[in-house]
Amino acid sequence: MNQTFDFGRWWMLVTMHWAENRKRYLLSLLAIGGLLTAWYGFLLTIDKYAPLNPFVQYATYYCGLYFVGCLYASMLFSGLGSKAEGIHILSVPASHLEKLLCAVFYGVILFYIVYTLVFYIVDIPMVQLANRMMSNEHRVWPGTTMPAPPMEVLNIVHSEWAPIPDKEYHLFLAGYFAVQSAFLLGSVYFARYSFIKTIVGILLFWLVFIVFTEKGVREHLPEGWTTYNFIQWNNYKINETQLHLVRLPSWVESGVIILIQYSCPFVFWFIAYIRLKEKMC
Amino acid sequence: MDSPSMVSIRNLHFAYRRKAVFTGLSLELKPGYIYGLLGQNGTGKSTLLRNMAGFLFPAKGSIEVLGFEPGKRHPDFLQKVFLVPEDFYLPSMRIDRWVRYQASFYTSFNREQFDRNIRDFDIPPDAVLDEISYGQQKKTLISFALAVGAPLLLMDEPTNGLDILSKSQFRKVIAGAVDENKCIVISTHQVRDLDNLIDRILFIEEGKILFDQDLETISRKLTFKLSSDAAEVAGSLYQEPSLKGHAVIVANTGEEDSRPDLEMLYKAIVLDGEKINAVFSAE
Repeated sequence: MNQTFDFGRWWMLVTMHWAENRKRYLLSLLAIGGLLTAWYGFLLTIDKYAPLNPFVQYATYYCGLYFVGCLYASMLFSGLGSKAEGIHILSVPASHLEKLLCAVFYGVILFYIVYTLVFYIVDIPMVQLANRMMSNEHRVWPGTTMPAPPMEVLNIVHSEWAPIPDKEYHLFLAGYFAVQSAFLLGSVYFARYSFIKTIVGILLFWLVFIVFTEKGVREHLPEGWTTYNFIQWNNYKINETQLHLVRLPSWVESGVIILIQYSCPFVFWFIAYIRLKEKMC
Repeated sequence: MDSPSMVSIRNLHFAYRRKAVFTGLSLELKPGYIYGLLGQNGTGKSTLLRNMAGFLFPAKGSIEVLGFEPGKRHPDFLQKVFLVPEDFYLPSMRIDRWVRYQASFYTSFNREQFDRNIRDFDIPPDAVLDEISYGQQKKTLISFALAVGAPLLLMDEPTNGLDILSKSQFRKVIAGAVDENKCIVISTHQVRDLDNLIDRILFIEEGKILFDQDLETISRKLTFKLSSDAAEVAGSLYQEPSLKGHAVIVANTGEEDSRPDLEMLYKAIVLDGEKINAVFSAE
């Protein structure tokens, strides 16, 4: 039998993981649904005109996704921090790759699908309820004759109400998978308090990145040149009527953007795989 | 003919941060034996077992178990080596469900043996793992370990937390599980718990193997007895006062038949290992 990956063995791992955690997972889903309902209920009581407008739905969806997704990812391998649970995880006769892919299956793929499903199970009836309340009580904006439009259910694919960069690049979604994969790595890397330590790690990385682009790069630019964004540089002073822009070749530029957008999860999963192989209990 | 080694440890070096545990330990374990790995707390027994099981990696030297390098933790290796740790984790689920899922990973798992083991240990098969006592959880894990069909079974302080009756059940279950293809290593600091069970002894002290002999040889070379003969007491390899005179260990020169007292032997080796080992090296 293949010692790196065998689908049958991986599937056994997936079913065992479900058998061991199903109670906890089902209760967590109920809790997520309950919290979303409570949040929407609160909005309905304080805003009588546009309580669940698509931007509120969008922000709710992504705030919940980031927080719960990252919290869950930070727990996927947290058992490795304890000797007893660590031995339980590592002694199952499956490869490290299969164990990592099982965590990715639950923590990344299944969680995203189920979270989205729970979101809509709460979102659709709550939007309908909001519209019913509006049609009964508040048809026009206060002090005007302008009708308050009915709420629409958020379409997370089109992201119509999303901030501009997300409409074009789905940065929030790509960013979510990148950040979540960092938390998954944190759960393997840190023996304790992985959620908090990963947040600190990400903030430190961000700080270093900002300092590097602002200080490190700027100080090495010729006089008069400034950083436009981290792959483009411009100069206003050479000719006041003209903007000089230095940019990388378009294929390098789009390559860098694609790499930043999509490669992070794979890079972090790969590091998590290496750390899992090196893990001692 | 000597059977080939199942575990071969050469020049093992291992340290926790700056605290060295092993500095050049070498050891061979063969199938067909129940090894008793004996020693005080903190002498490296658990560390040695976890190195053999692939949960700790040597800093220097090599470990080969059944042809595998344990640290790589290949699925085939994990099927063939089972560690019952002193502190263990069991999920919150019914025993029969837990066994069904866990057993699917072990191609040689013997369900009948598992059922027999938990029957011998008086554990209800439909009990929920985190609702039974620590001792019952341990017995469930031991029952499972014996049924997976692993040629190498490592047990770290398996009798800790077991009551007197359970310890005797444990000895019975283990004795029925060993065959010429299996090797069982039981680590403990409670020497008496392994009486009549082990057939080879490894005494470990400060990361070194002080003594490695099988019980048959020990019986042949040493005599354990009570003596009130002052000359015999004075010339013994080890002696300690008892209610009926002195308990002594003497070299077995007259082919006397005595049952080795492991606790006394352990003390003798810790106090003056060279004297005892000299008896075994002299032919």
